[in-house]
Amino acid sequence: MEKRLSQIQHLISELKGVSIEVPFSLDEHMNISGKVSVKIEELPDALEFDITILPEYPLKRFTTEAISFSNVDFLEYGHVMGNGNICIHTSHHPVLKNKIKIDFDSLKRWIWKYYYKKEKDTHYEHLIMQPSPFKNIHFSFLFTEVEYTFKKQEFGFFEYSKINDGTYFDKNILNHIVQNFRNPSNKIVVECKWSNHIKQVLRRNFGLYIFLKEPPVKSKKFIISNWSDLEPFVNEEFHKFLYDFQKNNRKTNGYPMPLLVGYNIPKKEIHWQVALLEIGNFPVESVKIKQKWGGQFVNESITWGITRNSSYDYFFGRGKLNTQITESKILIIGIGAIGSIVAKTLVKSGCTKVDIVDYDIKEPENVCRSEYSFFNGICNKTHELQNELITTSPFVDIRIMDQNFFQANTKFFPNEDSIKTNLQEKLKEYDIVIDCSTDNDLLYVFNDCKINKYINLSITNEAKELVCSVEPKSYSWTMNQYENVLDNDLENIHNPTGCWSPTFKASYNDINVLVQYAIKHINTKMLNKEPLRNFVVNTNSEKGFTIKLNEF
Amino acid sequence: MDKNKHLESVIKTHQIAKEEQLLNKHRDKSKDVKESLEKEYGSNIYSPFNSGSYAKNTAINTKFDFDMIAPFKKNAFGSNGTLKDMYNNVYDFLYEKYKDEANVIKQKVSIGIEFFRDEEGDIVKIDVVPGRELNQDKYPDDENLNLYVYYKYGNYDAGSERIKTNVKAQINNIKDRATNEKDSIRKIIRLLKVWKGTKLNYPTKSFLLELITIKAFDNNDITGSLWDKLEAVMEYIRDEVTKENFTLKDPGNSSNDLIDTLTTSERQNFSNDMDNIINRIEDNDENIKTYFPENEKFIEEDNDDTYGDKGAGLFSIPPKNERFG
Repeated sequence: MEKRLSQIQHLISELKGVSIEVPFSLDEHMNISGKVSVKIEELPDALEFDITILPEYPLKRFTTEAISFSNVDFLEYGHVMGNGNICIHTSHHPVLKNKIKIDFDSLKRWIWKYYYKKEKDTHYEHLIMQPSPFKNIHFSFLFTEVEYTFKKQEFGFFEYSKINDGTYFDKNILNHIVQNFRNPSNKIVVECKWSNHIKQVLRRNFGLYIFLKEPPVKSKKFIISNWSDLEPFVNEEFHKFLYDFQKNNRKTNGYPMPLLVGYNIPKKEIHWQVALLEIGNFPVESVKIKQKWGGQFVNESITWGITRNSSYDYFFGRGKLNTQITESKILIIGIGAIGSIVAKTLVKSGCTKVDIVDYDIKEPENVCRSEYSFFNGICNKTHELQNELITTSPFVDIRIMDQNFFQANTKFFPNEDSIKTNLQEKLKEYDIVIDCSTDNDLLYVFNDCKINKYINLSITNEAKELVCSVEPKSYSWTMNQYENVLDNDLENIHNPTGCWSPTFKASYNDINVLVQYAIKHINTKMLNKEPLRNFVVNTNSEKGFTIKLNEF
Repeated sequence: MDKNKHLESVIKTHQIAKEEQLLNKHRDKSKDVKESLEKEYGSNIYSPFNSGSYAKNTAINTKFDFDMIAPFKKNAFGSNGTLKDMYNNVYDFLYEKYKDEANVIKQKVSIGIEFFRDEEGDIVKIDVVPGRELNQDKYPDDENLNLYVYYKYGNYDAGSERIKTNVKAQINNIKDRATNEKDSIRKIIRLLKVWKGTKLNYPTKSFLLELITIKAFDNNDITGSLWDKLEAVMEYIRDEVTKENFTLKDPGNSSNDLIDTLTTSERQNFSNDMDNIINRIEDNDENIKTYFPENEKFIEEDNDDTYGDKGAGLFSIPPKNERFG
């Protein structure tokens, strides 16, 4: 290690414009630290930085650089963390000498851009804060948009629901979702814009909120850390509210009480932070000002918990399907392997109105190639998938259609004209109907139906091809593919329990790769405003695995 | 499979004569509409006439194109009357006249009268195209008419009053070619119409399919079997329709370009569709069956005994058309 220490010291000392002010030393964790001064041409004086180099260097520690440059005097400048660390993201290099050069060059760029030029970034950065546990447990509160404009210093209660607990690094975390905001008289002011399912989550509890309008900030970008710093943001009424609340809830002394602190950020958004209070030990005291008793915050550190804006645009900010699909009301008929994968994909990709229908029961052997879980045992496919989907997205409403709907509306007296008319009428509320039922009878009935957008998906044995019909006359086209065009080899099928329940052979991977390819294709066509055409996704496993999509 | 045999069957099963009952119903309703228009507009209207595929000898029995041209005199709607006035007036009249027995709807240049399903389950649809002569009393000589564009139609904007045409010249041009070259032009037009019938709201007018087929034959040496000819016409469309300088002159008015009834992206889609058809049929002849389906109503059944055919399914093996998901 001594060799590494002297090598680093030597490499840094050779860098242009860099002087070693405090020689580097090694601590018991094998970290190397020292102090340097760095000079750029534009500045008359050099700037000093404490440097710490972790044993992983020149590699990273997880996703963080294993070298830090720090000076708490620079907190007011851009890209400086609360501990004075300069926030740099540099290029990877596995060779020590090159990496040191790269990182010091980055530091010089920071000095030039943010210290010397005092540049401000155009995109908004949240206030810098470090969440802390409350009584050794972390608390998180996930919030979404509300259709309401809070007034400055408006306060009251908010209702939240507990969702799953977890582990946050080395501590436990209790997770919650904010459900609604209420005035001090406990009347609902506004509901949060979650799905109906989320709104029905019970395990409710109350917290307090205050909307400051201005962010509770110090040094331009750090959240305030002491309760007394909050004093200028609140009025006496809020202190009275806190006082009364604590007085009326003595029985719960010692319990945590979240206080949401809201403020505006750009794009007319509201951001909420959460401070964790202890009932019976609120950080307030009574003081007599001008002959009147009032409240004020005490000089104590604030325990900030964790919040996340989980509104639709953030939740799906990293990627979603095009809005023509996500804003559609969708019905999925048949939720076996293909149907459940389609449903999960649509919900994970931003769809919010998805109905499902299936008469079948999920068995353990369904789990390996669909979106079901072993632990849910034997149950209706619809109910399990509904649960799976509503726990995936807080914005999706999943309705289960009566399992007899298609039986009753398509197969009783199938040649009656009124069957099609009735079916069309009942399905007209849907923008897209995705039929994954593989029911040829149903496909036949749909053949001449006028439905907004009817998509039929199925695969051949061993998932060699995926067949997707999106045009009128879907029955004729699909049957022709299976009967005359494709080689649907049915000699090698999975026949587990006797001859009456044969099924196809294919793994989750076999099926999913085709379904995702098909959804990607449909999404791309719709995004490009091109008309959809029937298509077959063909696979070839002769030289590795290849996929070819043929449009008709 | 034999592609030519299949295509011949497609044409045979789509012969209009096979739907005699429906054809007669269309004739009767067409006559009724014609007489109603004549009675309502008296001396302001010339004799309405059929202009659809039936008149041009290119009809198929799955879609009866009974278009009726209603040629009005220049001053029929007042000396300052506009084409819009004409269109709306005819719509109002037809709506009042037929609202209890049909859906009357405004379409691109026509007014559709879709009669409610009758006791035999048949639906009759007549499209009335109002047109106005260019100059007072000149129609008998020049047969030229101006049409009103009700809503955006390819590159023609809604409200445009600029479609001038000679419908009789249009009809005669196609009718002559289709009748004289019945084994080539007429069959290909009918096949392309059958293909169009497999699509939902396909933007190409039948008239455009007729003109483009004729142009393909005029510009290429198209010979061989029926499939060879069809493939050559589709290749022509695929290769030519997206070209910027491609035109389809209206035989009723050479300054009208029918290709303008399609937008640029519709032309590209038209070309892509032809490409797909050619490629998919090259992949597997069986695909021809769904691009150019027979009219099942008139297929002469084979009574093959399929016993023992594994495609029909065995006790432990599902049938070949078993789909999975």
